[in-house]
Amino acid sequence: QSFKLLGFLDVKSVPCARESVLYGSLGSLVVGLGHFLATSRVRRSCDFAVGGFICTMLGYWFYCRYNLAQQRIRRRMLKEGMRNKTLFEGSSLDPERKQTGNERSDS
Amino acid sequence: MANPSQLGFQDASSPIMEELVEFHDHALMVALAICSLVLYLLALMLTEKLSSNTVDAQEVELIWTILPAIVLILLALPSLQILYMMDEIDEPDLTLKAIGHQWYWTYEYTDFKDLTFDSYMTPTTELPPGHFRLLEVDHRVIIPMESPIRIIVTAGDVLHSWAIPTLGVKTDAIPGRLNQTSFITTRPGIFYGQCSEICGANHSYMPIVVESTPLTHFETWSSLLSS
Repeated sequence: QSFKLLGFLDVKSVPCARESVLYGSLGSLVVGLGHFLATSRVRRSCDFAVGGFICTMLGYWFYCRYNLAQQRIRRRMLKEGMRNKTLFEGSSLDPERKQTGNERSDS
Repeated sequence: MANPSQLGFQDASSPIMEELVEFHDHALMVALAICSLVLYLLALMLTEKLSSNTVDAQEVELIWTILPAIVLILLALPSLQILYMMDEIDEPDLTLKAIGHQWYWTYEYTDFKDLTFDSYMTPTTELPPGHFRLLEVDHRVIIPMESPIRIIVTAGDVLHSWAIPTLGVKTDAIPGRLNQTSFITTRPGIFYGQCSEICGANHSYMPIVVESTPLTHFETWSSLLSS
């Protein structure tokens, strides 16, 4: 089952979406409440709360997606490395063989 | 293929489609931020007293110029990255030609031998149990998995379009023109698509089915086809 915020963003299936919205809500509360406690201005505090929501949500979103992208790249490199190891193990193209060969020649 | 009443993308089966899905999620998050802001401003306007004493609006004009520019940059950068990624041609292992006709596809594998076959939709009356209505064909396109495939698309009569959503491929088939695209399937499986350019009465009845198999099976199939 999906839960679509504003009818289009499925926070359950989109990676990082749920955390972004939750952290955004928390950020909005903190900023809005903090501003109100400091200034006692309701209207302006609401503006800050909305701004805090958007900035925190997008900030965490970029951070989370960047980490996910790095993970994805590492996963692809690992997959290719494992495939190459299986393909070339024991042959002249085996990268581990070349490495130990270099170590032997160095020593 | 898509589930009934599915609105979103199908699961990605190629690296490009994975990137497109990621970009789509990113665009939706930006859209959520914009919609939240607009909803808040709407609520604010509806509760504010009307006044006509605004003479100067330098700050707000600055904000509503810079903010959309930032939003456009946030969307344009990943979009251009994917666009250039889609144009990369990385030494394809196989070149395949797809020719659109009314109302079937012809596929040619001419790298090593001249292998050509037509691909017609399986009529509903002849459909085996468990097969998909209006999506199955008599001869599938068999390709080796995890290999870069180049596909050259053209048409023999009117405009068609060769599209497979799960691979992120959609290429127009134009008579007298060769359009090239490439893709890699990340896993074995059967991928469905449909003609995506109106081409006559049976436009909805000329599907595309690509079957991605390990290389050994592909070699067996191509040797059977050539013999």
